[in-house]
Amino acid sequence: MIEDYKKLAELKKEYLAYEGSEVITWCSGCGNYGIQKAIERAVVLEGYKPKDVLFCYDIGCHGNGSDKMGKTEVYTLHGLHGRVLPVAAGAAVSNPNVKVIAAGGDGGTMSEGINHLVHTIRNDYPMIFILHNNENYGLTTGQASSTTRRGLAMNGSPDGVMMEPLNCSEFALNLGASFVARVYSGDVKHMTKVLRAALNHKGFAFVEVMQVCPTYNKATPVEWYEERSAPLKSTPKTRSDALKAARDMEKNMKLGVLYQDKKTVNFLDRLVNRKDVKSVPVDEVKRFNISELIKRFM
Amino acid sequence: MNRTTLKIAGESGMGLLSVGRIVAKVLKHMGFYVYSDREYPSLIKGGHSNLQIDFGLKPIRSLSREVDLVIALDRAGLVEYLEVIKKGGILVHGYERAHLIKGLKEKAKSRNVTLVYLPAHSMARKLGGTDVMVNMVLLGMMWKILGLELGPLEAAIKKQFASKPVLLKIDLKCVRAGYEASEIKAVKPYKLKLPVKKPKTLLLDGNMGIALGAIEAGVRTYFQYPMSPSSSILMYLANFSHDTRMLVRQVEDEITAAEMSLGAMFVGSRSFTATSGGGYDLMTETVSLAGMTETPWVCVLCQRPGPATGLPTWTAQGDLNMAIHSSHGEFPRLVLAASDPSSCYELIQHALNYAEEFQIPVILLSEKNICEAQAMVEPFKAKIPIKRGLVTGKALEDLKPADRFKITKDGVSLRWLPGSSSTGYFGNGDEHKEDGTLTERGEEVVPMFDKRMRKLETLKKALPDPKIYGVKSDADISFIGWGSSKPVMLDTIEEMRAQGKKVNYLHYEYLWPLKEKAAEQFFKTNKNVHILEGNYQGQLANLIESATGLKFKGKYLKYNGRGFFLEDMMDYINKHS
Repeated sequence: MIEDYKKLAELKKEYLAYEGSEVITWCSGCGNYGIQKAIERAVVLEGYKPKDVLFCYDIGCHGNGSDKMGKTEVYTLHGLHGRVLPVAAGAAVSNPNVKVIAAGGDGGTMSEGINHLVHTIRNDYPMIFILHNNENYGLTTGQASSTTRRGLAMNGSPDGVMMEPLNCSEFALNLGASFVARVYSGDVKHMTKVLRAALNHKGFAFVEVMQVCPTYNKATPVEWYEERSAPLKSTPKTRSDALKAARDMEKNMKLGVLYQDKKTVNFLDRLVNRKDVKSVPVDEVKRFNISELIKRFM
Repeated sequence: MNRTTLKIAGESGMGLLSVGRIVAKVLKHMGFYVYSDREYPSLIKGGHSNLQIDFGLKPIRSLSREVDLVIALDRAGLVEYLEVIKKGGILVHGYERAHLIKGLKEKAKSRNVTLVYLPAHSMARKLGGTDVMVNMVLLGMMWKILGLELGPLEAAIKKQFASKPVLLKIDLKCVRAGYEASEIKAVKPYKLKLPVKKPKTLLLDGNMGIALGAIEAGVRTYFQYPMSPSSSILMYLANFSHDTRMLVRQVEDEITAAEMSLGAMFVGSRSFTATSGGGYDLMTETVSLAGMTETPWVCVLCQRPGPATGLPTWTAQGDLNMAIHSSHGEFPRLVLAASDPSSCYELIQHALNYAEEFQIPVILLSEKNICEAQAMVEPFKAKIPIKRGLVTGKALEDLKPADRFKITKDGVSLRWLPGSSSTGYFGNGDEHKEDGTLTERGEEVVPMFDKRMRKLETLKKALPDPKIYGVKSDADISFIGWGSSKPVMLDTIEEMRAQGKKVNYLHYEYLWPLKEKAAEQFFKTNKNVHILEGNYQGQLANLIESATGLKFKGKYLKYNGRGFFLEDMMDYINKHS
């Protein structure tokens, strides 16, 4: 890790390009500060220039990070609630030369747009997705999400949540995701390391961040995570081992890359009709001669 | 009327479509003008459907209501269409128990329709064929009645079924058996005037026009979720994708199609999507996002009758209001409407250009009968240049983030693609300042809102004016319309001219922003102006009336799922002028 700091010091100029506005729109102690830092460090350490990255944000507290990423060089898209995955995927497959890093919350991802998550995983689009799981709807003042723990009384659910929460990483693993990781928003160093691995993944990299929400999620504060979470010693070899590691969200929460299929054939490499195409769609926009195609209608 | 009209009717899955395609193609190759459309229920097999072909020596752009010759492959075909056969027409069928249908003979007699029975089932089976080949036997008989030579038909069948040599042999035997059947003695074959020269034309449907136009215009990524009648755009683009290398994908829902298309356009691929009303409903939040982030976005909205599932396989012009008013908030957009395969081919290219140059969502309306009818059009000539409105070259080095949404006089700011410049920007769905960063300050919100809305005025000036067809002024009766109103009006104007009536038609190809001055001028120079629309409310009529204070003399509104028929137009004109 000392290495990383040295390198970051050398890459000061590059690093500062990602440093954005100082407008504070997050609560004091919010997990988003740490996540933002880790993203900035990971892209700089992996050598991405701002122009070669596109940040896509969903709607929610994490989405307010869109204002804080870079001042003049960074490209950002802040879209609709629950829809960040398809808009980011459309960008990622149209210009694979630009690294697409998308982010969403547990509300947008696991409720409003959960169908997109299912199919984004199936398609293995070449992009990173950072799921900010703070186990509630923060921006709309603390309603229950599908990851809120059972029994907790929330805004709009005064009698407590009646159902068991969804386990996001387990969900992604079960759908066959080629890269699944779980990290904790309080550990910037570890997050940076995992995000760097995600940046180097060929297909869809799903990174679940267990995020503290000091304002609305009193059940799992910083101490809670510190007491029961620990980085994995190594990445489980098989999907079923990964599932075992991902399952426990109560007593012994495993953090790190839970699963990676390094040999995954991503969406773009599966396209039969573009097998030997070297260019990317955005560079191919020009008049196409249809005179051959039209012959059959004469 | 100078055309011959055929209807082939039977159960879906009996091979109507292949027969129809063969007949339309042979007639085209003989030099006839052809227009063909299919009516069918929302079922893949079973249920009744029919295919109509109108052909003649002059251009034909719409269907007629009444037909000369019906080929009925099943009982329903026999019963359902007696009413639409012209007096003196012919109905050929292969239904063995026709004599048991009460009143059939009498009804035919009262309408002076000749019924011809051909034991097509047993003939097909005797020749080694299956029940599906009944269509070939009846086709042969039809060809004989039309008084046409068998050779060209046989050649076309050989071409169509070349990949199935065993069945082809039986098909050819069946056609010949029908052609040579003795039952023909009951009728007098037609003596059609044959074309002397072969016009240079294309025969295709509107969705193919969309696909070809999009390919030519440099679309490189395409995302769609299937929905009738837009689905064949996906099929056509996918089937061409080995030639074009276009990235074509069926995605999980319409929201995804809309969003992926937006993401693709944001980074600079040319992309679009297509759907029908219900699918478009799901896309509307994305349309709003395109409006706010000033991202080009194009959707082909293939209309069918609603509400809800409505009549899924029929036609309508019911979604103009939706195209113009859909989505939350206020933002500029372009709505335009195709009317035939040529305009599909051209307008998809213009739609992409306007979307990129003005950085707005564009909705291109089509209709089931434009999407699917095989229409004959002149070979595509228009060479429409690709206009992207992008900053390129050296200028990319001198940009500031605030150039992206700069407050300009015409409302249009600079746009460049992510990755193309070391100056970035923020495409923000929240209200924002010139560089895209968020603002909620009232004094910053208003100028940005005004800037976006100014694009509507700039766009209005840039759009072509509506066009008048028929006499320029002082018509006995005039119509205003959009979409498929145009082809039927072109046919109607010609027919009525022959009857000594002056008819004209003002066609709105670009519907929003509305060019109301053209309507005002048209009303000034014509005294008897009516609307022709395929919806209940008269949606364009209402737009024009509220923008101008004018009143239409009458409204021809059709919302039964059927297209406009030539005779209906003629009847209406004779009643109102």
